[in-house]
Amino acid sequence: METVFTTDLKPLLDAVSQQMELYIPKKSGEFYVFIKYDPASGQTIEFNNIRACTPLKDFLFPVRELAAVFPEAAEAEEVKPFAVFGLKDCDLRALDVLDKVFIEKDFRDPFYVKRRENMFIIASDCFEPAGSCFCNVMDGKPFADKGFDLNISQVEGGFIVEIGSEKGDEFVKKHSNIFKNLPENALDERKKNRTETKKQLAEQNAEMKFDCPVREIFDSSEDSEVYDIEAKTCVECQACTRICPTCHCFYLYDTKQKDYFSKMKMWDSCMRQAYAAVAGGANPNKILGDRIKHRLMHKFVYFLDRYGINMCVGCGRCVDAEAGEVDIREIMKKLYQELKDRDSKLTKVSK
Amino acid sequence: MSENPYQPIDSEIIDIIDESPTIKTFVVVTNGPFKFETGQFVELTLPGEGEAPFTPSSSPNDTEKMEISIMNAGRVTNLLHKCGKGQKVGIRGPFGNGYPIEDFVGKDVYIVGGGVGLAPIRSLFLTLVERAKDFKSIVCRYGARTPEDFIYKKTLHGKWQKIDGVDIKLTVDKANGDWKGNVGVVTTILKGDDVNIKNAVAVVCGPPIMMKFATLKLLEFGFADEQIYLSMEKNMSCGFGKCGHCMIGKYYVCKDGPVFTYDQIKKYPKIWD
Repeated sequence: METVFTTDLKPLLDAVSQQMELYIPKKSGEFYVFIKYDPASGQTIEFNNIRACTPLKDFLFPVRELAAVFPEAAEAEEVKPFAVFGLKDCDLRALDVLDKVFIEKDFRDPFYVKRRENMFIIASDCFEPAGSCFCNVMDGKPFADKGFDLNISQVEGGFIVEIGSEKGDEFVKKHSNIFKNLPENALDERKKNRTETKKQLAEQNAEMKFDCPVREIFDSSEDSEVYDIEAKTCVECQACTRICPTCHCFYLYDTKQKDYFSKMKMWDSCMRQAYAAVAGGANPNKILGDRIKHRLMHKFVYFLDRYGINMCVGCGRCVDAEAGEVDIREIMKKLYQELKDRDSKLTKVSK
Repeated sequence: MSENPYQPIDSEIIDIIDESPTIKTFVVVTNGPFKFETGQFVELTLPGEGEAPFTPSSSPNDTEKMEISIMNAGRVTNLLHKCGKGQKVGIRGPFGNGYPIEDFVGKDVYIVGGGVGLAPIRSLFLTLVERAKDFKSIVCRYGARTPEDFIYKKTLHGKWQKIDGVDIKLTVDKANGDWKGNVGVVTTILKGDDVNIKNAVAVVCGPPIMMKFATLKLLEFGFADEQIYLSMEKNMSCGFGKCGHCMIGKYYVCKDGPVFTYDQIKKYPKIWD
């Protein structure tokens, strides 16, 4: 893919923000969040070395939105083009998951589609993975090679800007004055940085080297007690599902306004006790351990079976957000150990 | 599907029939013909209050109006039971798959129902009898808690019993008044020779516990897993397999069901809960 170079991010982001609303990362405490960029305000432009805390779904599928007005249908809300800077490979892979869900052959969520079409993606490489990052276990990597309009890699003396789409190409052509040719060795440096970060991830997740697909670990865990044991440390804060970039459950509810009725759509969480309950009182997932199991089976087995891709991208946000002590990585390791123990028993028996 | 799948179609309740102490049938007209396949469901909105999934109990061949039998079981159904004629409602759908009627052709159709589970079955039954010659037989076994709890009483005890090629037997959990029929749960009136199992399909719809034991009984008779069609009741909300509440394993009941063969879902946990 074509690459150009810039020594400073400000002119690039200024140019983007002249065309559309732009959101940039800002460090808040330990983590990055996205804030609206205002070129005149003298905001510092930060390069987020790791994924932001905010999941990308926030931009496409807001916490709460108006889904329908009746009896008279309302004009659909206008969506203006917007850009997000600082998205990582895990964010883009989460976007693949959401696209599969909300843009199908026989179904298109009109609200999602409209925002998706209006989004300009400026991705960037990871430098310092968080302790909770495990994208490498989920076939991810600390840099993106597709799914973006532009991708930024920080190198000595500036930034490599890679063009990933027609929209990105148009932008670069239109603002050619901002960009320079790539300095010699810049791509080599990028390669070195990327390799280094990959190595770092491999080291920190060395205990999660599995000799079978992750799907198998979960698919064979139906009778495992691990879920009930983990449930003892869960405080049902639901943060894992809210912050997860691929969780997409929602709740529809009706409201009465002065002169119309509306149907609202709001994020929901399968960790909520009444989530699957029906009016008669039946509830297949009354027990917390069963809800944790369902959530992880959906992530690692059911979604994969249905859509052909994993629903977990290994971003580790759920690990950071968790108010209790449930850790998706620990569950994975424990279930893997159980699988191995079963396998070795079987081998002994067959011998 | 309309451009906005969350937008309900303006509809009105034009008649209400008291079926049993807990069940009423609402006759609903939408603005324009409404098409569905038997076994599919709709989301009915009580404006400003909420929405709930129901399988119409009328024949899909009547596109002018739709009948929906509703048990007073939760918040929305309780409010619906308080509504009168002329109440404006919203309809979304139809959703999911219906009964695969064409696969039933030439076979004995063995229908097992309980309680309000007769609602979807009535729609199926009406669809089947409209072309009764296409099926070897239509055998229906239905149970209610007490004789008062039977729904569609008039036709159930009368007209339907007289249709050629139709065999209906009823039972109650608890007899009272002048009930002279069988007493016992529905599985007590299921017999291994009710139909020719080698060339039959079974359709089961009712409360989860009844569906569980009816299915076990059918398996005991020798029905294969893929010969048993189950109408699953889960928390269907969006209707198109997105919101997640009605999942059974990898399936969304609202999109891939509500009709499943036992074979499709048997490996997943807690299907009867």
